[in-house]
Amino acid sequence: MAPLNPDGPRMIDLLPHIINGLTLGLLFALIALGFTLIVGVMEVINLAHGSLFAIGAYFALTVIAGSWFAGTPFGAWWLSLPLGLRYVLALAIGPALAGLAGMLLELCLRPTYGKPPLYGLLLTFGAALVIEELIRLVWGTGEQNLALPQAINGAFLLNGMIFSTYRFFAAGFSIAAIIAVWLFLERTSAGAVIKAGAHDSEMVRALGYDLARLRLVVFGFGAALAGLAGVVMVPIWGLRPHVGVDIVIPAFLIIVVGGVGSFWGAVIAALLVGLAIGITGAYAAAWSTMSMYLLLIAILGFRSRGLLGRKSALEH
Amino acid sequence: MISLSDIPARPSAWITPPMIALALLLLAAPDLLPAIGLYQYLGIEIAIWIGFALGFNLLFGYTGLHSFGHGAYLGIGAYAFGLFQHHVAVSLWGGLLAAVLAAGIAGALVGAFLSHRRGIYYALLTIGFGQIFWFLAMKLHRVTGGEDGLLGIPRPPLTLGPWQVSLTDNRALFYFAAALLMIVVVLCWRLANSPFGRVLQAIRQNETRARFVGYEVWRFKWAVFTLSTMIAGLAGSLLAMAQQSAYPDVMSLHQSGLIVMMVLVGGGLVSFWGPVLGVVFYFVARDVLGGLTETWLLWYGLIFMAMVMLRPEGLAGMLHDLLRRSRPRQPSAAPAPATEAV
Amino acid sequence: MALFEARNIHKRFGSRVVLENISLAFEEGQISGIMGPNGAGKSTCFHVLTGQHKPDRGEVLFDGQRISGLPPQRIARMGVSRSFQLMNLFDDTVVIENVMLALPAFRERRLKAMSAVFSDTALIDRALVVLDQVGLAVRAWDAAASLSYGDRRALEIAVALAAEPRILFLDEPTSGLGAEATRRLALLVRRLRERYTIVMIEHDMRFLFELADRISVIHWGQVIAEGTPAQLGDNKWVRRSALAEATHA
Repeated sequence: MAPLNPDGPRMIDLLPHIINGLTLGLLFALIALGFTLIVGVMEVINLAHGSLFAIGAYFALTVIAGSWFAGTPFGAWWLSLPLGLRYVLALAIGPALAGLAGMLLELCLRPTYGKPPLYGLLLTFGAALVIEELIRLVWGTGEQNLALPQAINGAFLLNGMIFSTYRFFAAGFSIAAIIAVWLFLERTSAGAVIKAGAHDSEMVRALGYDLARLRLVVFGFGAALAGLAGVVMVPIWGLRPHVGVDIVIPAFLIIVVGGVGSFWGAVIAALLVGLAIGITGAYAAAWSTMSMYLLLIAILGFRSRGLLGRKSALEH
Repeated sequence: MISLSDIPARPSAWITPPMIALALLLLAAPDLLPAIGLYQYLGIEIAIWIGFALGFNLLFGYTGLHSFGHGAYLGIGAYAFGLFQHHVAVSLWGGLLAAVLAAGIAGALVGAFLSHRRGIYYALLTIGFGQIFWFLAMKLHRVTGGEDGLLGIPRPPLTLGPWQVSLTDNRALFYFAAALLMIVVVLCWRLANSPFGRVLQAIRQNETRARFVGYEVWRFKWAVFTLSTMIAGLAGSLLAMAQQSAYPDVMSLHQSGLIVMMVLVGGGLVSFWGPVLGVVFYFVARDVLGGLTETWLLWYGLIFMAMVMLRPEGLAGMLHDLLRRSRPRQPSAAPAPATEAV
Repeated sequence: MALFEARNIHKRFGSRVVLENISLAFEEGQISGIMGPNGAGKSTCFHVLTGQHKPDRGEVLFDGQRISGLPPQRIARMGVSRSFQLMNLFDDTVVIENVMLALPAFRERRLKAMSAVFSDTALIDRALVVLDQVGLAVRAWDAAASLSYGDRRALEIAVALAAEPRILFLDEPTSGLGAEATRRLALLVRRLRERYTIVMIEHDMRFLFELADRISVIHWGQVIAEGTPAQLGDNKWVRRSALAEATHA
């Protein structure tokens, strides 16, 4: 244990940063889970995963602001709905549309199956570029903000320190979502098929499932998770056309640090990365994103397959 | 099927017909470009990126090592050249040497870390290191100028013994860049077709077997990575001269991804000349499409996606098919080099 | 002393013990066989002998030198060569280059980067000699990917031979071959025995009994029987599986 003086007060100062870091980590986990599901079942590194995150967030923006119907009677009626209701709708519609976009991307990926993983990587890289340009075209190039309902906005005082209410809402929401995904994978028969697909696609076929449809559904599901993470995370992370690339790098890094295809590996790695960013932020804010790369290099220096990783086809 | 491992018809030649064609094109470019409505500076940019792309393709196409962070070494070369001019001496050769060495040392260190990795882990670590360099360039404001860039980099004159030529004119700089490019072309060509290059290709095809026939695979991977970063550094120094400044944006993931896209669209996976086609296509598309629509990158991205899905052999692969179709009764391509040496 | 020896090898994956106290010795100039049922650990044993896996305990000695723990490329350069059961070829190139890459003379050029490869007649001749041994010299300039399954197996062996080994390990050389191709392979192995020390794992008992001087039977991760084919003919397990094979056929 560290002595109470003089380190004691410093620890207290650090607390908000630790909490911020953990929140960020939970949100990272949410996006990394969809990513790791797609990698596990399809052995595709989806570099457009961040773009699906962005799609979810931008559609949520449109749903909340009703901007596409501005000036029409429908638009006026829409804006008269309470913000809370529009927010809840956005939380459903944003991820759903991201899921659809993910399915479309999966269809594009089909010619690359059976080829080296490079092709999937390249295709999704191209898709990320295309989606970013589409976002510029549809939503403009500037930084935007998601309007939040009163109930989850604002801040509160605890022990003489100010905490953002939204961060706690986001953290709680992420924990719930992570548990829901885990229960889905562990306790339902659909989850069992997905897990089987992650280990052995032959087995899925032998069990009588349609592999093509499984891939489509998993990609859609993973994309919807990314979209959900987008809606929840954007008030903290900011929303700009480039957000997809900004977020896909930590997500990618997290699944590698955690071990490709490992559920809990991704969650643990996400929390570590979040903490690293949060704590570095306390001392040298400008350098906070650097810490995650150093974490990556440190961990991969000792464990070449990440924390909980096993050998996989992606090494070829 | 065509592939990079196809044995070239005259493998022992130092100079090949496509090289002569490229040299002639480069000679004519300063007069050709304005004639087709483009501008002098574009030629410099294209020459720089072709050199960068050829070095990159030794790693990407030949060895099958997928670096998504290669823009970093271009940037390091540019900064090293600029810093040398600012803090050491205004010297062309000194600056070039500093750029090649700086990028090479960074590459050698990173390469030592990377070379025991394979596949996706390799790709990810290149992204990680690339981002670190990019981040440093942004944050070390006092050294690099941060986001504003390192400004006021001179174009030192070219001195060869008693000769001295000013490079302040774009035409002169273009010819200098073109001359360096031709050296890079010959070097890469010889290397790709040497025993060393054949081993690189063997590693791409089957790393495990390469190890079991006795090769220290990681040393080859390290050597080719370092070499490609040195070439990137050289290209970076020319970029610094061309722009008379150096910016962090060439080091971003976006730019590192662009070089991958150019090389693949051009056909770097199946042809030595693929990167050349890819770079020319990119810059011409940028200027032509970019003049028509603001969202030209959207179209370039769509073309790239279509290529990956349908024709990963790229432009070079298409060209090869066209040539073969126009000469249908050509005997099979396999040469009998044993007799050729006689 | 035997040319190649394994002493008290233990190997486990996780909690599963795959090899338990295996000791083997292969004499110079002989053909030695390793046989056993599927999942008995013979493949793992092969990987430990040739350096793909490190043993948890015990050591592997080649010519009196300890090689266990060395990386595969070092072991290969000492003169231990192996073929692969699942084909491991350089598929994008021509047949002869597969062989050339494995020649020690080619390897020694290393960074003499600027010398041309495909105009060196000495190298090409040497590769052709190796290809001729397996009957592939006429296909030297064909694409490796265009070969038939049987020819690819032969090329597998040619690549292993090109390394000019002192001991040659063959991993299930007959796997996937028809009767005619198996017969040709038997002829090839018989010719090779004059020049090489050979160790093979094989599930085709007839093939192994016809060719091998000594056979070790591995079962449940242990060596359960050892001897000449004649001695093993009386072994209970061997007879039972020979019977099973005969009824299958």
